[in-house]
Amino acid sequence: MSLGQSQSLPAGSRMPRNLALIAAAAVFVAVWASVPLLASRGTVDLLVFTALYSIAGVGVAFLLGQCGIISLAQSVFYGIGAYATAYGTTALGWHWVPSLFAGMAVAGTVAFLIGWPILRLSGHFLALATLALATIGHVLFLEWDWITGGTLGVGGIARISLFGFVLNTPQRFYYFVWIVAGLVFWLYANLLKSRAGFAMRAMRDAPSAAMVLGVDVHRLKVQVFVMSAVVGSLAGSLFASYVTFVSVDSFGIDRAVSFLLVAVVGGAQTILGSVFGAAFITLAPNLLSKLGDIHALVYAGVLVLAVIFLPQGIGGFLRDRVRGLLNGSGRAGR
Amino acid sequence: MTTTLFIQSLLAGVTNGCVYGLIGLGLSVIYRGSRVVNAMQGDFSLVAGIIAYLAMERLGAPILIAFLGGMVAGAIVGWIVELLFVRPTRKRGGTEESFLLVTLGGAFAVSAAALLFFGRDSHPVRGLGGNELLDVFDAAIRVHAVWLIVLSLAVVVALRFFYTRTFIGKSIMAASIDADGATTIGINVPLMRSLTFLLGGAVGGVAGVLVSPLITIHYEMGLLLTLKGFTAAIIGTLGNPFGAIVGGLMLGLVEALAIVFVSSGYKDVISMTFLILIMIAIPNGILGHRGRAGG
Repeated sequence: MSLGQSQSLPAGSRMPRNLALIAAAAVFVAVWASVPLLASRGTVDLLVFTALYSIAGVGVAFLLGQCGIISLAQSVFYGIGAYATAYGTTALGWHWVPSLFAGMAVAGTVAFLIGWPILRLSGHFLALATLALATIGHVLFLEWDWITGGTLGVGGIARISLFGFVLNTPQRFYYFVWIVAGLVFWLYANLLKSRAGFAMRAMRDAPSAAMVLGVDVHRLKVQVFVMSAVVGSLAGSLFASYVTFVSVDSFGIDRAVSFLLVAVVGGAQTILGSVFGAAFITLAPNLLSKLGDIHALVYAGVLVLAVIFLPQGIGGFLRDRVRGLLNGSGRAGR
Repeated sequence: MTTTLFIQSLLAGVTNGCVYGLIGLGLSVIYRGSRVVNAMQGDFSLVAGIIAYLAMERLGAPILIAFLGGMVAGAIVGWIVELLFVRPTRKRGGTEESFLLVTLGGAFAVSAAALLFFGRDSHPVRGLGGNELLDVFDAAIRVHAVWLIVLSLAVVVALRFFYTRTFIGKSIMAASIDADGATTIGINVPLMRSLTFLLGGAVGGVAGVLVSPLITIHYEMGLLLTLKGFTAAIIGTLGNPFGAIVGGLMLGLVEALAIVFVSSGYKDVISMTFLILIMIAIPNGILGHRGRAGG
């Protein structure tokens, strides 16, 4: 493809392409809005979980893709959010809104206090430190049963109500949770394009150069870590309000792994990749449930295969194909 | 606190410390030979424990044969991991993160497979000398625990001999320090990397068969063992197999005292906090750079 062609292409095709994008977006919104009306209750339930996991997962993906940080601690922040909503709405009798924000505040503070020292560690040291955090979190959730109810859990958590409209069916919750997920994606997409986003990529690809250019690498990492914890807590709070019962089993190492899987399978470089990753971790156990506990083995296998053969994840793979198509040639994207 | 209780917890600390040291030893062997931090070291032990259990309970094998079988199983798993996971990742230009992710995936795969084929229950394994106890200043220690301590030290000495005196040991070090240089003088570098994992797997297997009689085998035990072994390896300077045992003993004693003074429920919280603090405070371990450079 010559240079001249590529320059003339956007000018000649901008209008139709914009129209096509708008049309595609309209179709997408129509499909999205009609799913709960057509699909079964079970399917809608799975889609709600897809949204919850993609919210928590996008935080992990952003850390991995933009900062090169493997975080296995997201289950802790997810748990903090869930228990904040559980404790707030049952023991304290709070409304769901302050409970949710209290959870986000606690998760953010914990992430800041822990992240400040440990984010100075590099590579595998940091990854294993977050794994240690996940272990600590799981034990504390179990031991502090005056908040968490231990293995028995907490039941009777208040459902979310908006203007007197209680979100008590999967269908109602579906619309709400996907709008929240959309907002989180929009926030992260903006961050990606901002000055801070450029600084992060510089930090990931050439840390020394970034430092020379005055990027405070450590501070930036802490900020992204705190943000990831806050969205993890948000997802946890929504989860607690949706299922109205939480127990310590939901916040173990396996949950931390599944969030990492969202990032790796979905593709850490793209924001929307998390949706594919989240869809995978929700649908795979469901499709494989006939075979017993085999889904954990499939997860592990997919994690290994994705790291070796699909380092950009599903999101990165699709992005490259779409770019190839838009540029009119399969090879042009590279 | 009575003296007996103190000695009792000290003995438990030394025993556990040797286990963590052995796991750390395996991690160090693999890190030394391939620069990969192997997140599935504890799962080699899980496999070895399961094989030893099955050999004894299902096939009625004598205990020494069963333990040997467990060790061989650990070595084979290590070798397979190198062939199927690590080698393809290296070929595709794997980064530090991707090696860790791949071995983490391997750890979850072993744990999931154990759950699938071995079940959710914990299984007790017979130990050397059965359940007999020895009396040490009124405190009790299992005969098996004494064997564990002796055999751990034997493994350390054997490894020291292997790396400094044997041709293969020296070749492994050469392949790790300078792969191109080693190739030039006729060392088969890929084979040395496979041998590294074989050796690491065997050490993991020894740890597995020795620890299984003390704690019951459970499908989730691998990751926690890896983390504790990693703590031991970092304290003793990652890549230095002889430091790992020292680090393991330190961690074991800290844990034992934590159980006495705090509560057994918080044991893992304390050892994981200890890991994080060690990584922040002395990332190069107590032996520092001198230990890391030592061939």
